[in-house]
Parts: sequence; C-alpha cells; structure tokens
Amino acid sequence: MKELKVIENSVPDPSFLETVQKFPGGEKITDCIQCGVCGGSCPARAWMDYSPMQVIHMIRHGLKDKVLSTSTIWICASCYACTTRCPRGIDIPILMSNLKRLAMEEKVPAKIRTKPVFHRAFMEVIQKYGRMYEPELFLKVADKRDLLGLFHNASLGFRLMRKGKVGFKPPRVSESSEFLAVLRSRNNNRRDNE
Amino acid sequence: MNSGLPMADTAQIGVFICHCGGNISNTVDVTEVRDEVAKIDGVRVATTYEYVCSSPGQDLIKEAIKNEGVNRVVVASCSPRMHLETFRRAVEEAGLNPYQLEMANIREQCSWIHNDRLQATEKAADLVRGAVERARHLEPLEPEKMRVNPGVLVVGAGIAGITAALEIADKGYRVHLVDRSPSVGGHMAQLSKTFPTMDCSSCILAPKMVQVAHHPNIKIITLAEPISMSGSPGNYTVTFRKLPRYVDEAKCTACGECVKYCPSRVDSEFEAGLSQRKAIYIPFAQAVPNKYAIDGEHCLYLNKGVCRVCERFCRGKAINFDQKEETLELNVGSIILSTGYEQIDPKIYGNYSYGLHPDIVTNLQYERLMIQGIHRPSDGKPPKKVAFITCVGSRCSGDVGQEYCCKIGCMNAIKEAVLLDKSIPGANPWIFYTDVRAHGKGYEEFYADARNVHNVRFIRGRVAEVMPNGEKITVRAEDTLLGMHVEEEFDLVVLQAALVSPRGLKDIAQIFNVPIGHDGFLLERHHKLRPVDTSRDGIYACGCVLGPKDVRETTLEAMATASKVATFVGKGEILSSPEVARVDSTKCDGCGVCIAICPTKAIEKTDRGVRVNPISCIGCGLCVPQCPTGALDLNHCTEAQLLAQIRGVSSGGTAPKIIAFLERETPYASVDLAGQTRLSYAPNIEIIPVPSVGRIGVKHLLQAFASGADGVALVEGDDGCLQGNALREYVAKLKKAVAPYGIGPSRIMSTSTTIPQYEKLLNFFEMFNKNVTKAGKIPDEMRQKLGKTIEEVST
Repeated sequence: MKELKVIENSVPDPSFLETVQKFPGGEKITDCIQCGVCGGSCPARAWMDYSPMQVIHMIRHGLKDKVLSTSTIWICASCYACTTRCPRGIDIPILMSNLKRLAMEEKVPAKIRTKPVFHRAFMEVIQKYGRMYEPELFLKVADKRDLLGLFHNASLGFRLMRKGKVGFKPPRVSESSEFLAVLRSRNNNRRDNE
Repeated sequence: MNSGLPMADTAQIGVFICHCGGNISNTVDVTEVRDEVAKIDGVRVATTYEYVCSSPGQDLIKEAIKNEGVNRVVVASCSPRMHLETFRRAVEEAGLNPYQLEMANIREQCSWIHNDRLQATEKAADLVRGAVERARHLEPLEPEKMRVNPGVLVVGAGIAGITAALEIADKGYRVHLVDRSPSVGGHMAQLSKTFPTMDCSSCILAPKMVQVAHHPNIKIITLAEPISMSGSPGNYTVTFRKLPRYVDEAKCTACGECVKYCPSRVDSEFEAGLSQRKAIYIPFAQAVPNKYAIDGEHCLYLNKGVCRVCERFCRGKAINFDQKEETLELNVGSIILSTGYEQIDPKIYGNYSYGLHPDIVTNLQYERLMIQGIHRPSDGKPPKKVAFITCVGSRCSGDVGQEYCCKIGCMNAIKEAVLLDKSIPGANPWIFYTDVRAHGKGYEEFYADARNVHNVRFIRGRVAEVMPNGEKITVRAEDTLLGMHVEEEFDLVVLQAALVSPRGLKDIAQIFNVPIGHDGFLLERHHKLRPVDTSRDGIYACGCVLGPKDVRETTLEAMATASKVATFVGKGEILSSPEVARVDSTKCDGCGVCIAICPTKAIEKTDRGVRVNPISCIGCGLCVPQCPTGALDLNHCTEAQLLAQIRGVSSGGTAPKIIAFLERETPYASVDLAGQTRLSYAPNIEIIPVPSVGRIGVKHLLQAFASGADGVALVEGDDGCLQGNALREYVAKLKKAVAPYGIGPSRIMSTSTTIPQYEKLLNFFEMFNKNVTKAGKIPDEMRQKLGKTIEEVST
C-alpha cells in the first residue's frame, strides 16, 4: 500500500518548531489563528508561492524542507503591513529573515537565486565599513557576465551621486572599530550557541 | 457563642484509628500508632478498627462519648475532605459539638504514598499526635443565624435584568429594577431580529418591558447609578445617585409636544449615532417608563440659562427644572448585577476606515438601518452588495484587542446577511469570516440556510483593508482556502465590533466588592458549577456582564440567578460558618491594623475597638498574626489549637523534618489527589492544613523550629487570600523576622498551586527537601533557646 505523505517531499521534523520558536519572531507562532490577514495585507503576496499564514502552519507541522524552500521567505520585503494587522501580534518579517538565515546556513537552494547573494553581500559591506556603501554592494551583486546589465542602473547611480546620496568614497563611521567589534561578537555568539 | 476559655484541663480524648480495610494498615502499623498515642496525657480511649466510617465504627465513637466520658474525638483515617461530615454527624448524634472532632489524614498523606513501614508508621504517629494536641484545645462552636431581607435589587435593566426581575417578582419577592438610562430595555431593544428564529427583537421584548412596568412586586428606578454598598449577605444597603429627569413622571403624558420645539440636537444613542434626537427626548417609542426626560448635558436652559421652551408648550405642566440630584438608599437581601456590555469603537483599527466613509457601519448601526428600512447612510439608496466583516477587535492577543471570541458576531453577520437577502431582491451579501462558530440550537442549520437559500457568499479570511473608494467601498482580503486575493467593491460594509465590558463596570465591581476577570468582565465563582454566583454570597450576575453571549443564553442565566436568589432569600435566615475571627475586647486597643488587612472588609471600627462581622468574615485568619496586642483569634484555628498541633506534629519523626502549612482548600486537595494517584514524596514532609498561609505568623514558625522542624513550607491556593506578589512579600517578611533567631532563609519556602498541578507541588516538595537537607538539622541547643524565647514572648 502506498504511504500517505503529509505534503510531498517533506518529512515532518518535530524539533523544527522548537528551533523556530527560539528565533525572534518565532515565539508566538503557536498563537497564530490562521486568519489570513497577513496574506491579505501583503503587497508581495502575488509573487509568493505560499502565504505567510501557510508558512507558519507548515512550521507547526515541522515541515522544515518545505518551509526553507518556499519563495515566501525570500520575497518578504519587511514592509510590516502584516504585523501591524496581525491580531496575535506575530512579527512576521523578523520570522522571515530568520528563516532566510536558516535556509542559508542549511544551504537550501533559494527559489530566487540572487536573493541570498544580495543578503550576503549586504552584510559583507556592513561588516567592512560599519555602514552601507552602495557602489561596492552593486559590484558585489551585479552579474559580471552581463555587461549591459551593469550599465542598466547607471543613470540612477549618477542621479544619486549628484544629490549626494551615494558617495565616491566609502562612508566613515565614528568609532567604527567599536561597532564592528559588536557585530563580530554577535556573530561569534551565534556560532557558539549553535 | 463560646466561652473563649480553653478547656485543656478537662479534655478527655478518644482516638480512633482506621485500618481502612488494609489501605492504611498494610503500610502503617496501626497498633503501634495506637500504643504511641495512648501514652499522651488526656487520651482516655485509643483504639483501632477495620472501618471507622462504617455504622459499627461510628457506634464505637458514640459509645466512647456516652459511656467513657470522652469529650474530644480524633479520627485517624482518610482525608477530611472525604468523611469530615460523616464523623461530625456521628459525634453530634452522641451529644458532642461537631467542632470537637478532629481528623488526622493518614491515608492520602501517609499510607498511600509511602512504602517503608517504619517511616510511614512514624509519620502517622506524628500526624495523630498533632491531632490529639489540637483536639485538647477544641471548643464547641455554633453557626451564626441571621434574618434575610426578602427584597432584591437588580442593577441593569436589559433583557437579563428584566427576565431576572420578572422571575423573582413572580415568586413573590419585592424587586427594585435599576438602570442608569431613562428607559429599561438595554441593547436588545435596538436589535432588528434575533437569530436563528428571526423573531422581531422588540416584539418579544416589549411585552416583557410592559410586564415589569405593571408588576406589583417590581419597582423600576431609572437614571440611577449605585455609588456604595454596606452590610453583609442577606442585609445589604445600597446607595444610589438618582439623576433628575426634569420631567414629572406623574404628569407627563408622552404627547411629544415638547420635542417639536426643543432647539438642542444631539446624536441619538438609541439609533447608534445614525440620527439625532432633541435634548428633551424619549429614548424610543416603546420606552418604559414611557415618559420624556431632559438630557442635562445638552439642555440649553440647564447649560446656558436660556430657553425653557418645552416648559411653555407642555400642556400637562410636567417640566420641572427644580429637580435636583438625589441619593437613594435601598435595603435588600440579595443583588443581581446585569449591566450588560458595550462595543468597541472600530476607529482604533485604522485598516477598517471606520469613520472615514458614512457607509462603513457597525453591526448595531446596521440593526438600526434595518429597522428604519434598509438604506445607505450616505445617499439613502438601498445597498445591493454588502460586506459583513467578523472578528473586528476580537480573538486578538491582549495588546492588540480583545482576546476572547465575541460569540455572537458570526451568527449576527449571518442573520444580517439573510435579512438583506430577504429585504432587497437580488442583494449580494458577502461574509468575511475567520471561523464560523455556529454552536447552539438551530445555529448550524441557520448557517446552512444562509448558504443554500439566501445566496450568502462566505470568504474565509480576515479582512486586510477596507478602503473608501468614491461612493463605493473596496474590501481587500485573502481567501485563505484558495490562497487567492479578493478585492471587491461594496455598497455598504458592516463591522461586527468586539464586545467589551461596559464603562463603569470597574466601579460597580468595587462598590459590590466582586472580582473582575482577566477579560474585564465579572468573574463567576466557578466556571462550571457556580456560573452565576459572584465571590460574594447573595450577589449574583447574569448576561453579558459575565462575558459576551446571545439573548437565549442571557435569558437562561437570568432565570438561573432568579432561582439562586429565591433560594437565598427564601430561606428566611442564613447560617454562617462559625470558623470566623473573634476579638478579645479587653486586649483590643483599636489600632485598626486588621481593618486594612481584611480582604472582605468584615472588620469594622467601634467605639471600644473593632468588631468582626461574622457573616462577612471568611475565616482566612490573615488578621490574627498581624494583631499587635493579640486581641484577635480565629475560631477553630485558635492560637492555642494551632500551636499545640505544631508542637505535636513537629516532635518525633525522621530528620530533616519539614512542616508544610497548606491552605486547606486547593493545595490540600492537590496533595490528596497526589495520594489518590499514589505519587510519593519524602516521608519527612508532614502537613498541617490552615485557612490561608497568612494565618501563619512568626510565632508559629518559631514554634515549629523549636519543637523539631528543620524546614517550613507554605503553600497557598491560587484562589486563596494571598496571591502572587502578596504571598511573596508576606513570606519575605516572615523570613526576615525569623532571621535574627538564626533561621536561614533556605529553611522557609512558599508556592501556590491549583488542583491539577499536584505534580508541581511534589516537585516543589522535592526541591525544598533538598534545600533543607543541605541546610542540615537544627542543633538541639538552638531549639531549646528558641523554646525559651517563645516562652518569654508569650509571657
């Protein structure tokens, strides 16, 4: 007889719920009443394969593989429309970013290929300067094989530079060494905890 | 009541130890226990028997009382929660006062939980010794009798108050039905129809309103609010503030001439703000009493000193601007609180755009629109496509909205959608729901009818946004069953706003001294078994003041309170437990410390000190250890009795010895439950029940340590008199007070428990036992020193 699977390609992992509950944003997910206001409020819902409500439900079922491979976690733009209306006060954007981190740590291929590249590059720049330096981020993220694509955003870049929004030189942060030390210790702590 | 003199010298104690058919005797050597207690001074009879609770067992006790001169009885058997009443009856039949009986629990707290025969026997001997020592000081007590005032007060005259008043009045009792508005009727008078039967709301309510108006046993008092209450169950005195009506009820014929000329307009409460009324008004056509009233806040004459137009045109000369606010006093035996509910203002949630478009209305406003002939408030046209949105402010986490389900929103939305379909041909009602809760007689069928017959579309998804869109209103949500967005334009949007406790309920609760629950509504005494009782005897509650509910359930509760009230006042007199505090007026200096402590306000100041009201006193004993002059004592748990029991239980047994003072209701029952489940804990933990942990003072702790205890546990029930912080603070104070005597803080520990948490209590015992074992035995020299200190203190 064929075995009935909960959801295809997924094996329930009961410890997954506990793992997620320890994340910021994951504390209250057992409190979700599956009302759907998150999906209804989400401006990016059309590009997601599952509603945040469904992602939360999958977490409660322990469907780790399924959750970490959804496009939902990568498409979330952290606009907080869902959380301002969530009747149970669940911090969905923070939950999503922690699921992103977990997916990267577990090396689950992201449905949106460029997203993990962007996130990693973003943090690299921050860790280097203590602040964002857009030109470097752009160079890190841009597809080097697509030269035309490199110039695609050039006019926007020039306009930003003219207004002083983006500089030629990397920004300076006062006490940057202290800030970077904080970042480093945070990373070390996380590594120690895991 | 009692002589107050200990009769230690004359006590002749009979001890009856039960085998419980092996339940006890298989683990405890009952003959050894008997021999041990027989040695104690004053024990006249000590015997064991197979089943002491059986008729021949009870006869043993009776014979000992009649023939051997026994005047104090100790039964060592099961928990007093099991057979206290049995044995009290037995001793009473033999001519002894029932309060001269004491029980030692050697089954649930000993034989059922320990395996080691030696240890179990030692512990049983300790417990029986404690009971014997206590029994020596037992005094005869008689319950207090008090006449009950047969009058009844009903606060709040909605469907709950009206139903309760009618039921009680029909039973022959006099009822005062009070409401703060100018008419009885409450929210139900505003509704169009009622689900699921579709009865016209005012058609079924109005006859009842007329009935209360004409019932010879009911007096309606409108425009009145309670401001204070005194007295005790059976004899309450309630004071009201009665606002002036400015219209003489006897002269007003409700002709309505005044309204035509009144220049001042305000939003009508009855029409939920959809239309306006004048400053002189009658709330609605069927109002009872059907008399006009002047709204003092908006009357031009009363505020600016000009106008008096109504007075000029009133043919009956009924207007009387000289009326003043009065205070009114009512003496009643019993009180029903039925002050109903209120709805939230959906403006607090921006995404529903309430207030930004006239066609976004609350369910109550929609009810009024139905009655006025269904139309859009903006242009008066009939709406075709209407969105009904449930759970507005309900089912939220506490910081976002109301945590509970409003219980009526789903059925109300269905009813309103069905009514729309019935009244407008080709109407298109949509219901946006989270879950449809159709519990109750005929509700699921009504829901099915809405889908099958009335063309109602159900969208499962909480609405994300309601947006004014020109004349129309756009509603956006996700249909969670399809995972697809819904974005539709509607003519009218109806919000099922959450139900909350009415404004002023906190004051009402304070006035009547009844607790409010976590949800803001009144708290019933027991969720299932005493659902309409408040924590105060003689005060009941019904309807939405206890939590959201529909008309049917409200009526059921109203009838239940009527039955409770009739039982309460019908007895004519009440007996109250004699286990209450008493004052020795020769010692009392009237400092009033106890008055501040008493949780039920049972202690009153008199010119010679203080007086305890035995009806209000719940016998918690909080006041006794705090009395600086030792003038207060607690019947049946007197200082002499408690100290003797502590001495008895503390001596002997295995070290390190732990005395656990358990509040006699919840924690004691928890430990009994552990016994019934045969869950063991250390045999060196021995239990003394107390009315509240607050009964234990420094003196008792010192006595326990002096007589052999190495640790003292204090366990309060979570409905006890010392809660949360109060318990922690109290115990911290005790620890500080005994520290100078060399008693470390690790030897005293407290917790609170509910019955199902007996495992938590056992964990607590285990942890505490470890702490005390680590702290070690208290040396004998220190105990002797402590003993001397106690003697010095008491002399």
